[in-house]
Amino acid sequence: MKVFINFITLLLCSIHWGMAQVPAPADAQGNPILITGGTIHVGNGEVFENGAVAFAEGKITYVGEAAGFSADQSSYEVIDASGKHIYPGFIIPNTTLGLVEIGAVNATVDQNEIGNLNPNVRSIIAYNTDSEIIPTMRFNGILLAQTTPVGGRIPGTSSIVGLDAWNWEDAVIKMDDAVHLNWPGRYKYEFDYSDFSVKRVKNDKYEEQLKELNELFSDAQSYASQSAKKENLKLEAMLGLLDGKKALHIHVDDAKGIIESIQFTKKYGIQKIAIVGGEEALLVKDIIKENNIPVLLSDVHRLPNRPEEDVDMPYKLPYLLHKEGIKVGLTYNSVTNSRNLPFFAGTAAGYGLSKEEALKMISLNTAEILGISEQFGSIESGKNATLFISGGDALDMRGNLVEKAFISGRNVELNAMQQRLYKKYKAKYEAGK
Amino acid sequence: MKRIYTICVLVLLHCSGLWAQEDIYPVNNVRDNRPEIYFLKNATIFKDYQTKLENASLLIEDGVVKAIGTNLSVPKGAREIDLNGKFIYPAFIDLHSDYGLSEVPKGKPFSFGSPEVVSPQTKGAFNVNDAIKSSYNAAEDFNIAGKEAGDLRKAGFGTVLASKRDGLARGTSALINLLDELENEALLQSNVAAHYSFKKGSSPQSYPISLMGCVAVLRQTYLDAKWYSSNKNQSFFDNSLEAWNASQKLPQIFDAKDWQSVLLADKIGDEFGVQYIIIGGGEEYKRIAEIKATNARLIVPLNFPDAYEVEDPFETQNIKLADMMHWELAPGNLAALEKAGIDFSLTADGLSNKSDFLANLRKAVKNGLSKTTALKAVSFNPAQFIEAGSSLGSLENGKMANFLIFSDDLFEEESELMENWVNGKQFIIKKKNEIDLSGKYSLEAGDSTFNLEISGKPDKHTFKIVINDSTKIDATAEFEETLLTLSFTPNKEEKAYIRLSGWRDGKNFKGKGQLPDGAWVEWTAEYKEELEKEEEEKKEEEKEADEVAKVLFPFLPYGNEEKPTAKNYLIKNATVWTNETDGILEGTDVYVEDGKIKKIGKNLSIKNAVEIDGTGKHLTPGIIDEHTHIALNNVNDVATNSGMVRMEDVIDSDDINIYRQLAGGVTAAQLLHGSANPVGGQSALVKFRWGAAPNDMLIKDADKYIKFALGENVKRSSNSNSVRYPQTRMGVEQVFMDGFTRAKTYDAEWAAYNSLSSSAKANATPPRRDLMLETMAEIINKDRFITCHSYVQSEINMLMKVAEKFDFNVNTFTHILEGYKVADKMAEHGAGGSTFADWWAYKFEVRYAIPYNPMLMAMAGVTVAINSDDAEMARRLNQEAAKSVKYGGMSEEDALKMVTLNPAKLLHLDDRMGSVNVGKDADLVLWNDHPLSIYAKPEKTMVDGIIYYDIEEDEKKREEIAMERARLIQKMQEAKKNGAKTQSVEPTVHQFWHCDDLHFGQIH
Repeated sequence: MKVFINFITLLLCSIHWGMAQVPAPADAQGNPILITGGTIHVGNGEVFENGAVAFAEGKITYVGEAAGFSADQSSYEVIDASGKHIYPGFIIPNTTLGLVEIGAVNATVDQNEIGNLNPNVRSIIAYNTDSEIIPTMRFNGILLAQTTPVGGRIPGTSSIVGLDAWNWEDAVIKMDDAVHLNWPGRYKYEFDYSDFSVKRVKNDKYEEQLKELNELFSDAQSYASQSAKKENLKLEAMLGLLDGKKALHIHVDDAKGIIESIQFTKKYGIQKIAIVGGEEALLVKDIIKENNIPVLLSDVHRLPNRPEEDVDMPYKLPYLLHKEGIKVGLTYNSVTNSRNLPFFAGTAAGYGLSKEEALKMISLNTAEILGISEQFGSIESGKNATLFISGGDALDMRGNLVEKAFISGRNVELNAMQQRLYKKYKAKYEAGK
Repeated sequence: MKRIYTICVLVLLHCSGLWAQEDIYPVNNVRDNRPEIYFLKNATIFKDYQTKLENASLLIEDGVVKAIGTNLSVPKGAREIDLNGKFIYPAFIDLHSDYGLSEVPKGKPFSFGSPEVVSPQTKGAFNVNDAIKSSYNAAEDFNIAGKEAGDLRKAGFGTVLASKRDGLARGTSALINLLDELENEALLQSNVAAHYSFKKGSSPQSYPISLMGCVAVLRQTYLDAKWYSSNKNQSFFDNSLEAWNASQKLPQIFDAKDWQSVLLADKIGDEFGVQYIIIGGGEEYKRIAEIKATNARLIVPLNFPDAYEVEDPFETQNIKLADMMHWELAPGNLAALEKAGIDFSLTADGLSNKSDFLANLRKAVKNGLSKTTALKAVSFNPAQFIEAGSSLGSLENGKMANFLIFSDDLFEEESELMENWVNGKQFIIKKKNEIDLSGKYSLEAGDSTFNLEISGKPDKHTFKIVINDSTKIDATAEFEETLLTLSFTPNKEEKAYIRLSGWRDGKNFKGKGQLPDGAWVEWTAEYKEELEKEEEEKKEEEKEADEVAKVLFPFLPYGNEEKPTAKNYLIKNATVWTNETDGILEGTDVYVEDGKIKKIGKNLSIKNAVEIDGTGKHLTPGIIDEHTHIALNNVNDVATNSGMVRMEDVIDSDDINIYRQLAGGVTAAQLLHGSANPVGGQSALVKFRWGAAPNDMLIKDADKYIKFALGENVKRSSNSNSVRYPQTRMGVEQVFMDGFTRAKTYDAEWAAYNSLSSSAKANATPPRRDLMLETMAEIINKDRFITCHSYVQSEINMLMKVAEKFDFNVNTFTHILEGYKVADKMAEHGAGGSTFADWWAYKFEVRYAIPYNPMLMAMAGVTVAINSDDAEMARRLNQEAAKSVKYGGMSEEDALKMVTLNPAKLLHLDDRMGSVNVGKDADLVLWNDHPLSIYAKPEKTMVDGIIYYDIEEDEKKREEIAMERARLIQKMQEAKKNGAKTQSVEPTVHQFWHCDDLHFGQIH
């Protein structure tokens, strides 16, 4: 019976998706484009009040004061952005975007592979460019994502994608950028059905889990130095961590875990590291700073962890870390709500940061942490033209009105299923049907 | 009165030896019945908690007190026992024990992934709910448990009231003397009290899983029992209800524990005319006024929390401030109860080591409890509570000889429990050697002579060999009755032991021993003189209570020492969002008096008002959250129709999220049941009065609401093992049809009964009151309003059609993410929509949720609110409203109304909340910026004219919290150094409830 129901569900899914396909990806940039008259938020802290940005063949050729743009405009498609704001495309790191369609429907979830140590498992090949969730990100100015598997000790390897593509090969911006590691906790949380509470209990497998990790990294080191290798997919996937081709993204929140994981990576000479989560990073700021490790900070919109914490602690944490000289990018754990990324930055700006500094945390800082800042993350000459025009302040829901967005100079479609449904029913009620 | 008489007779029969083992039980020997007459003399005797007799005697015969007084002569044939300055007290009685009863079978822990158990599983003619175990009789289940009896006697107990900790109704208890040999002797009485709790115990039945469900089952059982006893043509038999009714005349004891549950138990009692004796949790000091108001007598544990381990600063962060404060304040709990005039008895329940009982009693006295009340609480009161005062709880002629012999006043630290007499039977607890050996001796062993010094008190002597003034060698010694063994090394450097053994001879010792080389020698120790009296060290009075935490309301960080009060405020020169036809008023003053908005205007001048500068700031009505689950101890029960459960029973006024939401400008909310069932529980409409007790948070005279739910949650989509009806949206409709159809019949039956003449009524059986059907009938009668969890258009349409069939309206659809598809129908029906701004795609039924939903529903004429269903998002509801400006271009005023005026309308509270208008409640928020902006934060949040959140006060509180933590950490470290027991830091993390927190880790 259940099988039958599942079959029906699948059938229904396929019918619905057939009807509501996502818009076609945009064509490659044709004419050079000049956006002029708007306020340009470069992404590195700079602002041009009456600015201009020009790009051709997907690359930015000019950014600065509008008055300073001296080239002949006749060959350009000119967009008047007076009174508007131009931002670099926002980047959502550490997301399951494209791996999950509907969390509660297992058939649509490709985020968590069997097994505990899966460095060889790669998100990119499951990344679904036709996910209905992707256009909702673009609609709010999020144009790039690090699609990341979850679960187990080492869930796998992430890749960075542009959010408008025919297929995953088209989408990829940086293939296999980072191996992810869920650092074992000394404590774990258990749900107790008898009184519906969550209890924090000692993780008695901690030593064992640590040993497992040490063995993996030691074995990877040995494997790297072997001249005649008996090929091992898992160890092969680890090599990039040792030679610096891949980053290690350590998912850890507690203070001790941050210390221990940093010491761990030093022991194995891992060169590129980022902490993902980092809720207690402020407590151990010194070791983070000394080792120059950036933090992809988890949910700004969350509750304080403890009743006595400042009620606004999660809101002001980006500022507090920034003030300590730690490089911060923002992330979020729920894929469908990640479209609110700009507002996480907005909140951070409401609680200490300047707006431009807050902007960096969803653009240039993140690009730097992900190792794509040569091409992405800010509106600078020579960089990839991935940017958008907003009717107002894009960090505030009152002003986040994305009118045009470009990924590598391609003018991407902003409207999709949600906007189609809006129009459909708006028409119905306006007509009094 | 009859009961008391029965007990007396029982005791007399029992004690006179009529039932004694010797006479009834066959013996495998000749009879050996001996006279059991004891005369205990020269003691200080506490006849009861307040009557102290110095140098008194106690005569007991066959387990009964025969005489007690100061000038008694020894009767012939009595065995004399000279107590020589010792103290006698009535033995302790523990009313909350499960001593000697069978183990409670471990129920399968509840899991939402398992098949539901809908029907009762108890075989036989028992109650419809397995958690009603009223037919249990502890006396029939009792077996002596020797070790536990010994432990309890060591702690000073002579008698316990044993009840089984299983079920909501737990049947009756047995009164048991802590004797070791024969159950027939130990058991004093059966059916002593009836017991209740909020724990369903081993019941395998799914319902109830929540506290409010437990309350509903108890309430329904009271009603059923009454109906059962009045039913004239009884058509069925119920053992449980029979037993329930039979036990109503006994003392009623409710095992409640925490202070909120104590109040809840009392509330049930009040409804059914029962005054429970309530078992508390030792934290009554947190809400002493409310506890006092229950008029209940309490049974309180003497179980104080251990200090936490605070060495590791990272770990220490995880200790909750409230737990640290409780550690410091718990020992003062009994003093607080005494001061408030609350009558209580004490229990050793919860002590892993029962012998801590006495130590903790002394600790309580050190923390302010009077000795008299302490004694009263361990003996006199427990006997009174169970109406056994005529035989237990004090020592008087004819009462049972249950008493304790202490070496000194029992409150003295050094005083030890020597003997515990149960029913005239002596149990030696501590054998004490009373011979004082202290003095200087000349010890001769073989050819050597040593100076031996024995110091200290009897039984605690220390032995030293004195070499010279500055050198003394410790000797190892043991003295028992008359025998002494002694060994020492005369030369410190050499490991050469002289080992002696001998006996006391007058004041001297003599015996045989061996020298280091093994040679046997004779030895003597001759008493020479007394020791020089050393200046007794002045014992420093232990200062336990120099600086202690203040009781906060609520008992949490950011709580207040004094409950804040309403003042008259004049908010000057603010941008006021009125939500009225006036719209947004710039540079406007608002005057608040006695909790209401009194005046709105420009340049107001009011005498004696506290002025608040609103220049550059925005003033809006307080945010109202139409759908939340914060401030609740539980959220879901599992009966398909859970209309009988009430969220008001589980309001948790000690939820930090109340404060956090005030900090986000939220002033009122509907606390909703979860969405596990088509008909969920009854809502509680509250204002966030930070520090008020649960009942005081309720909005007075608010209309009544109930949660309904549709779709995936109620058809248990995420549980592939589910067997519960319904499993489809088709079945969901039928659940409603069934409920309302039956409710109509129910209503008609009651109407018919109520229309009978009084004489006809007397001959008729009233219909059975059914809390669930009563609730359904209220809905039909427009006396209760539905907030329905809903997602897809088909089911939304369905519920409106069901309602129309029964001639009422669905008040509100909540979540309602496909409301935009049927908004015109909703508008026509008159249903409102309370929705999320942009949540979607977390499950299949929200696949077509769109952020334009609020705007589209509003366009069609639906009253639209934005709710949270989430403790975090609730503190940013203004921003969620602002999203409709982005998605669909709603006007900013309309957007703000979606979290203020519109939810007030949906909750029928718009006559007093939701806008800034003269006469309305002063529930106001002063923002530092445009209230729809992401950069805006509340600077002041006011409910009923009381400022509960103030950004500047908040800053101060943060400092106070840090200082208080630091102080308590220091104190714990010091306590550990001084030998206090400690516990590691493994706190319970608060569970944040969502709509269907059936599935842990999955939301909405």
